Formats: sequence, structure tokens, C-alpha cells
Amino acid sequence: MIDLWQQQIKAAAAKGEKLAIKGSGSKLFLSPTHEGAALDTRAHSGIVEYDPKELVIVVKCGTALAEVEKAMADAGQMLAFEPPHFGEGATIGGMVATGVSGPRRAYAGAVRDFVLGAKVIDGKGDHLSFGGKVMKNVAGFDVSRLLVGSFGSLGVITEVAFKCLPLPKAEATRVFEMDSATAIEAMNRWYAEADPITATTWVDGELYVRFAGAAPAVNSAVQKRGGEALANDLDWWRDWREQRHAFFANAKELHRMSCKSTAPVLDDMATAIEWGGALRWVEADEANAAKLRYQASRAGGYASVWRGGASTHASAAQSLSEPLKEIHAKLKTSFDPYNVFAPLPLGEVAR
Amino acid sequence: MSLTFDRPSQTTVATTVEALRKDFGDRAVTSHAVREHHSHGEGMRDAGLPDVVVFPETNEEIASIVKLCNQARIPVIAFGTGTSLEGHLKALYGGVCIDLSRMNNILQVNAEDLDCRVQAGVTREQLNAEIRSTGLFFPIDPGANASLGGMSATRASGTNAVRYGTMKENILGLTVVTPDGRIIKTGTRARKSSAGYDLTRLYVGSEGTLGIITEIQLKLYGVPERISAAVCQFDELSNAVNVVITAMQLGIPMARIELLDEVQMDACIKYSKLEGFAAKPTLFMEFHGTDAYVAEQIEQMKSITADYGGSDYRFADKPEDRTKLWKARHDAYWAGMSYKPGNQAFATDSCVPISRLADCIAAAKAEIAKTSLTCMIVGHVGDGNFHVQISFNPNDAREREQAETAAAQIARIAIGMGGTCTGEHGIGIHKLDALKEEHGEAVDVMRTIKKALDPNNIMNPGKTIPMA
Ligand SMILES: Cc1cc2nc3c(=O)[nH]c(=O)nc-3n(C[C@H](O)[C@H](O)[C@H](O)COP(=O)(O)OP(=O)(O)OC[C@H]3O[C@@H](n4cnc5c(N)ncnc54)[C@H](O)[C@@H]3O)c2cc1C
Repeated sequence: MIDLWQQQIKAAAAKGEKLAIKGSGSKLFLSPTHEGAALDTRAHSGIVEYDPKELVIVVKCGTALAEVEKAMADAGQMLAFEPPHFGEGATIGGMVATGVSGPRRAYAGAVRDFVLGAKVIDGKGDHLSFGGKVMKNVAGFDVSRLLVGSFGSLGVITEVAFKCLPLPKAEATRVFEMDSATAIEAMNRWYAEADPITATTWVDGELYVRFAGAAPAVNSAVQKRGGEALANDLDWWRDWREQRHAFFANAKELHRMSCKSTAPVLDDMATAIEWGGALRWVEADEANAAKLRYQASRAGGYASVWRGGASTHASAAQSLSEPLKEIHAKLKTSFDPYNVFAPLPLGEVAR
Repeated sequence: MSLTFDRPSQTTVATTVEALRKDFGDRAVTSHAVREHHSHGEGMRDAGLPDVVVFPETNEEIASIVKLCNQARIPVIAFGTGTSLEGHLKALYGGVCIDLSRMNNILQVNAEDLDCRVQAGVTREQLNAEIRSTGLFFPIDPGANASLGGMSATRASGTNAVRYGTMKENILGLTVVTPDGRIIKTGTRARKSSAGYDLTRLYVGSEGTLGIITEIQLKLYGVPERISAAVCQFDELSNAVNVVITAMQLGIPMARIELLDEVQMDACIKYSKLEGFAAKPTLFMEFHGTDAYVAEQIEQMKSITADYGGSDYRFADKPEDRTKLWKARHDAYWAGMSYKPGNQAFATDSCVPISRLADCIAAAKAEIAKTSLTCMIVGHVGDGNFHVQISFNPNDAREREQAETAAAQIARIAIGMGGTCTGEHGIGIHKLDALKEEHGEAVDVMRTIKKALDPNNIMNPGKTIPMA
């Protein structure tokens, strides 16, 4: 497969044509432009190497995320950033190319924090290997992490090595009735006080906190904080992660706002909060989207359309300064001198 | 494609130095002593002197220096505290050394958001001293009191990496002066967001070859309710290593787990006057969390060490005892240096898949056994990262050569086991060949990036990425 793709890329480069890299299409809504013949990553699929004792898994790009998660769960391990699938066939390549992480991100780290190495075919058709499969590697530029969130603009990510973590021994979710300000304060303070928290969400006047780790640590945290126990917690968090919760279903135009974790909530727009306050989902129509973006920048971050509105990418691109735009263009050209792949992604990326 | 650099002419250098003197007065220094001090890090002393050392105080001053150098095609080398180990600072082509030590202000501490912004010259100890009253700390602790700019530039780590990560996981954003003298900001206060490529990750670990880092936004952590340090000793090195492997596989969230072999332990006992320990393979451990959580972790560890014949634990719970213990660990390098009177030592830096750790250490020891040299092993073994400190007589050319050959061979062994030639010290000039061996054609892309972002190759030329 790799040979074939290399030829395909070289041919496209020679003819000045474009290639559209795609997997199952589950996250296509995040990247606006797809021109040219399709290069379907699912043709290169399978787990290359997985010895749970090693705490490393090496996977081909087209492998279904579900397959990887199943193999890891069977061995008592997980991808600790809890990636959303957003569709049945979601692939590993798409997960890395979009760099989107789930509820555990604020506590365990993002996709890029678990990428140990990656292979990529660049726009000249060369198959290259960056990083490796060890926990620490400072040999040369950190290119494998640059690929995370690059939306296929730098090359075809063909294989990725991830760091695995053991599944927590115990897990319990507690629900607290609270207004947003109290919830934001609680999420930040409890985490700073070293509670074993692995997810927080505030929605519809309720704060959901997931505690996980060794049983005594979870028990003592639950006792200390109180709240109501949540039955079906696994399903609840899965639905939340996959955005099947009613909050998402009911939102017409949904914006995603990243900000400092203590920023106050805007009262006049329906909001859900996660990642300890650092991520907000806000329902805003065209009329108040500008206000939302302004508030986000005041809170040290960005807001952009996630679903249902005009493209997210234009607004975020404006926030890049001239020299930054130049650096982006130079990096793009370094990997893809003939512009075979999708254009530079300037949208806000969830990392 | 290859990179090139021609040493600038004497006249160009003289004109540039003159211009810097005019702008910076006595903050542009040309005395031999100061230039010599800035011509090397720790490690092997193969000095190459910069032509002038400048001590800027603002981002704008740095930008003006870099602009001048870019016009004149003169090398620019950033200097943090000069503790790097791989010849990162040697001025191969002369040039201007930018010493960041006057950029030592902590710009913001945001206690609720668990982050801060510092100038690049702030050292890790200074940061921790100044934020102590907030109940927060910054965990990354290379053995030296390095600058946070230098630590960012080398993607440094330390004894806490298993639990808290390395620099790359703890930097939220940077201010960088680009090779054409512009000031850019990467990342945002919002930790989990950025537009476009993740440039922060590109600059972190670029060893001063893509730009000068002037400010860093860092994550901070709450000081845990309970901190407990413990020492456990073993008769066999392999048993100590197996304890580490088991603990990692069970996911015990050790804050620190450090291995010292019997020679290193002997050196540390002598150098740091440690009492009550034998010169045996040893694990230094630390546990962080709530009272209940720490107690649970210790119980789990005790059952593992018992399986591998470990000794009873010696605990250090009082802050002063813990400080003494970890100071001894951080001083392992100096203990190695002074182990044999008159000798010098340098450290290898392999990182291998955790299951290969025991094999790799054994193979490294076998490599040294072929020589007449003494070596000792110390490592952040929870990550599969260990250092062989090779002690040699600097006045004996044969010994030095033996030491260098053995070090290169140890890097090769690690790469052969699916590992890397450097887990934390970086490439500098000494590991350029090993980088090629490890990354093959991918080095071409790194070179293309370097050429694209620094077309005149003025930023620390000849380091990190092989020129050809
Ligand atoms: C005893 C001892 C123990 C050590 N232990 C460890 C360890 O446990 N883990 C570890 O990772 N390292 C360790 N090191 C290596 C060293 O401390 C680290 O590499 C450290 O990060 C270097 O920081 P520095 O401020 O001294 O940088 P310097 O040595 O001054 O510079 C290092 C490199 O970074 C560049 N640089 C410095 N500042 C900037 C800047 N602001 N912008 C751009 N580039 C810059 C320089 O040009 C140079 O290429 C140890 C060294 C010693 C001597």
C-alpha cells in the first residue's frame, strides 16, 4: 500500500494535481476543503505491534479506533486522552490528523502528548519516520507532534506509535447541583488539591465529576466531596464524549471556546463546560457570535464554529500574525512543495 | 540538500561588534574570560569562542541583535546557564552569544489557572522559590539549575518525568524571536487550543537553531498533600530494574523512580556523605498524593520490591531529609566526575523500550568492560532512560578515545533495540552522527525546515541537524 501511495503522490505532484486524504469521514466536518482524487487511508490498516508490557502500541493509519480501543481494553489499557469517534468507522489517522481529544484531556494530556513517533509520506512521496517508540526522545526536531492536528496538510500519516496507560482500577462519577460560577471554582480547586479527577462537565445546572485511580484514593475523594452517585456512568461519559447528549442534539449553531479555565460564563448564551473550565460549548447565532469571539479572546483563547454555522477557519485565521502565517506557509512547503495535499489548516484546533 | 555556513570576514565581525557596543555599552562584552565562559556547556570541553557576548534585557533588544546578525550573516547562539552536555554552545563559527541571564523576571503567576509566564533566563530553582507561597510548584528538574529557556530549547526532563512529563508536555506557549528578528507568540493562555500548526512543539527542543525563546508560559502543579520519599537497595542490578518495569506496567503513579548502580551509589555516598547506605544497586523513589493515596502506592511498591529481594525501605518524609536525598541524586554527575582523582566523566543518554532496559544496561556495561575504564549507571528508569557515566583520564588520548568509542557504541545498541541515542540531553554537536543513524531520511525534512525558517543559517549553525 505504501508503495502505491508513494507512486500516487509522486504522480499527482508531477501533474500538479491534488489528493484528498480521508478515512471514514467521521471528522470531515472539521476541515473545510477536500479536492482531488481520494486517498483512502483505510486501505492501510492493522495493529503493527502491541505488547502490553511495553506500554506502547504501533498502529497503521487506517485502523479503526474502535479496534485499537478494544485490543487495549482487553489488555487492561487505554488511550488516555479518551478520543471521540464522531462516527462508527473513525480511524487512527483521522484522530491524529485532527488532534481532537476527549473528556480526560484536561487531566491526562492530549493526543500529541501520547504520540511517541509517526511515519508520514510527504508531498514528494518520501516515506519518513519521526520519533520512535520510547517514552522520551529528544533527537532532532519534534516533527511527529507537529503532525498532530495538521489535518493532512503535511502528508499522509501512515503509522503512529502511542504511549498506553493502564485502565484505572476504580472509577466513580458524582453529580452536584451548582451554578456555573460555583462549578468552575470547584473544578479548579479540587484538581489543584490533587483529587484524582479524570473528567469534569457542567451542563444544565449540574456538575459531573469523574474520579478514577486506586480504590482508596477514589473512595476518599468521593467521601470528601459528596454529591449524588451517577448510575450508568460509562454510558453517560461515552454519550458526552460523542456529543450525543441532549445539549448537543438541541444546539442549532454550536461554538467551541477554549479559554483560561477560570473565565466566567456568558449568561446570555446556553453553555456547557468541560476540561476543568478550559473548554466551553456555546450555542450562539450569527448575531452574538462576534461577541462570543470577543469574550473568548479576552479570556485568553478562541471561539469558533464547531457545527452548524459558517466555517470556523476564517475567523481563527485572522488571529494569526503575519510572521506566524509566513512560518505556516514555509512549513507547509517544506513537507509538500508541490501542494498535493489539503491547504494549511488555520482553524482552531482542539489540543 | 545541505546546509552551509561560511565564517564571516574579520571586518564584518568587527563592524557588528562595534555596532553592538554602541547599542549595548558594557552589556556587550569581548573580554577573553567572558567569551571563554560562554564557549561551552558542561561535558566535554571543546571550546569555540564567540566574538562577543551580549546581555539583553528585553524581547526588543534581542530582536535588534538578531536583525543585525541576520543582515551581517553572523551566527547567533543563545546561552541560558551553560549546563548543556553535548557541545550545544560551542561557537563553531564565532559570532554573537546572547546571554539571557538578565531576562530573569517572572511575568505572571496565575494561581487559579495553574500556570505562569516567565522570561527565558529564569532558572527552575528561582521559579520554585518565588512561587512557594502560592502552594504551587514546577516539577521539571534536570540535575543542574538550568534556565527555563535552555530547558525549553533542549526539551529537558528530570526525575519527575514519569508523573509530570517533560518540558514538551508542560509548555503552553512561547515568545520567540525569529531569525529575521521578528517577535512571535505561539500558543495562548487557553491551554488546549491553538490555531494552525502546533509551533510550540517545533521550537521546544530546537536547541536554539530556529529562534531565540524569550518568554515561556508554563503549567504549574499544586504541591501534593503528602510527599514521601523512600530508598530501597538490591543485591542485583537486574532486580532493581525489574521492579521499575513492574511498577510502570501496573501503572503505579510514582512521582520519581531513579536507579543508581553500585558504583554510582559508592560515588554518591562519598560525594554527598550519605549515611547508612551500602554501595549496592539502589532505587530512589518518591510518592505524591493524598495521605490515603500515598499509603496505597507505598504498599503496592513494597510488595513488588519484596518479590525482587529488595531491602526494607528507608523513608525520608521530612522536607530536609528529602532535600538531602534528592540533592545527592542531582549531584550524581559531580560525584561521577570526582570519583577517580584527576579523571573526567561524561554521560551517555540512551532511552529504550522499557522491556529492553535490563538488556540494554547489561550490553552497555559489557561495552565498558572491554576497556580499562570505570563507568557508573544512573537513570530516570521509569521512562527507560539511563546514563552511563564514563570516567577517563583527560590527559590520556587513548582513554578519551576509548570512552568516546564506547559511548557511540552504546548509542548504537540503544537504537538497535528500538530506542534513541538521546532521551533528554539532546544532539548538540556530539550526537549528529547518531541522529542520522536513528532517523535516516527524515533528517532531510528537518534540514528543509531549518533552511525554510532560517535561510541564512545564522541560528546556532552546525548544531542539532547535520549540515549534510
Ligand atoms: C549535573 C547535570 C545534570 C543534568 N541533568 C539533566 C537531566 O536530568 N535532564 C535533562 O534533560 N538535562 C540534564 N542536564 C543537561 C542540561 O541541564 C539541560 O540540557 C538544560 O536544559 C540546559 O539548560 P541551560 O539553561 O543550561 O541551557 P544552555 O546550556 O545554556 O543551552 C542549551 C542549548 O539551548 C540553547 N538555548 C538556551 N537558551 C535558549 C533560549 N532562550 N532560546 C533558544 N535557545 C536557547 C542554547 O543555544 C544551547 O543550544 C544536566 C546537566 C548537568 C550539568
